[in-house]
Formats: sequence, structure tokens, C-alpha cells
Amino acid sequence: MILSDLLTRPVIDAHGHSLGRVLDVRFVIDGAPGQLLAEARLAGLIISPRAATSFLGYERTDEKSPWLIASYLRWRHRGSFFVRWEDVDRLTSTRIVLARSYRKRSAALPD
Amino acid sequence: MTANDEDDISLAPPDSYAGQVLDAQLHLLDRQVLDTDGVPVTTVDDLEITDIPIDEPLRGTPAPTIINILTGATLGTRIFGGRPPSSRLTRIPYRDIKDIGVVVTLGVDAEVLDASWPERWVRDHIIAHIPGGHHDPE
Repeated sequence: MILSDLLTRPVIDAHGHSLGRVLDVRFVIDGAPGQLLAEARLAGLIISPRAATSFLGYERTDEKSPWLIASYLRWRHRGSFFVRWEDVDRLTSTRIVLARSYRKRSAALPD
Repeated sequence: MTANDEDDISLAPPDSYAGQVLDAQLHLLDRQVLDTDGVPVTTVDDLEITDIPIDEPLRGTPAPTIINILTGATLGTRIFGGRPPSSRLTRIPYRDIKDIGVVVTLGVDAEVLDASWPERWVRDHIIAHIPGGHHDPE
């Protein structure tokens, strides 16, 4: 599967309510050891209820400068959240459906 | 916690991981790819991940992993939308990646990659026919 088929795809919960679109996909290099790097496994999805694209990831960091741009982008992506891959119930041809018990997590990047 | 989280106190704290965390758009897409000698090869236009079944429950299935970096002629689709057919994209295997930082560094020479064939073709079919084109400038 091509990653851009996941990006910007609409996300709904188990009841069919819209939650937003996939803003980004988070990978973690902690899978099975490989030739040079360990496998990069898909850890989860970052979902934004208001915008389908991100710019420089201000909503995921504490970066505050330049103030005007940081404030605007953080406001534009307010309500963004991260869901673990385990919380994804199924993929349809047009949408991503989350499990009934999914939990919204902070989209902040780990330090 | 970012300022964004302060707007929504219902969010659970972010997960922490033992390995390097990569947000695809932020840390991978559009990054320059260098070969093992630091020679620029291409840029990351897209990623290929292991297949995710469509319309089937995913609970209990292993998380997808990155299998290839994709590169190719994506300018047109970026302007007009969509993406090139998968078969038109050139693949660099993930197993050839040595390091992912500001740039993506490969552990192999660019000469062995399909992604650098236009450069090799120009060198062998055009530059080589120019007088002096067979050796480095003196």
C-alpha cells in the first residue's frame, strides 16, 4: 500500500461520526532488527478535525516562534489527536473506521 | 504537552517509545536521500508500506511496516492532484537505509540503485561522447 492513500483520508468512529482527516502517520523504528535499521512499524495516526495538511508540525511541538505563524498553525490544528494503530478497526475504500473503544491521545512528539 | 493539548484536557498523554519516532510528513517525505558516500540520489516522494486489508477487521493484525521509499515524477500530480500509478514509481528498499535524520542516508552506492538510472544514462550516452568526457576535470 502507498502511504499517500492513507494521508488525508477521512476518519470516522464506530457510530459513523466524522472525526477529521489523517494529518500524518507516525512510525517507530523499534520493530524486528533489519540489515541496517530495525523495522519501522506504524504506531498510529495523527488526526485533525479541521485541516487535512500540516505545515512544519507546530501542533506537535512546543515551538513558539515565529509567534504569529506558530499561533495561527496551532489554532488551525486545534483538537488534533493521535490514535494508536491498535485502535483502528478497519479500512474501507474511502475511510478509516476507529474501534468502539478508541482513545484520543496527545499528538505531541515524544521528547 | 503542547499548547494544543491544553485546549483539550481529555487527551491521554502521548505514548513514549524506545525507538526513533518518525512522523511521515514531518520527518520523511521530501527529505533528500544520500548514498553511502554522501552523493545525492533523489528525494522521498512517498512510502510503500505492507498491505492493509480493506473492509476487514484489523484488530490483532500486525502493524504495517515501511518496505520501500518511493521516488519518481510526482510534480504533475502534486499540482493537479492524485498520485502516479504505483508501477511508475521507483523503489529504494527500506533495508538499504542506514540513518534517518535531516537527510535519509543509504548504506549502498547510488550506482546500484534504479533511482539513479537517468544520471547514469546521461553520463554514458551523452557526457561520454563529449571530448574529455571520460575522465574527471584536471
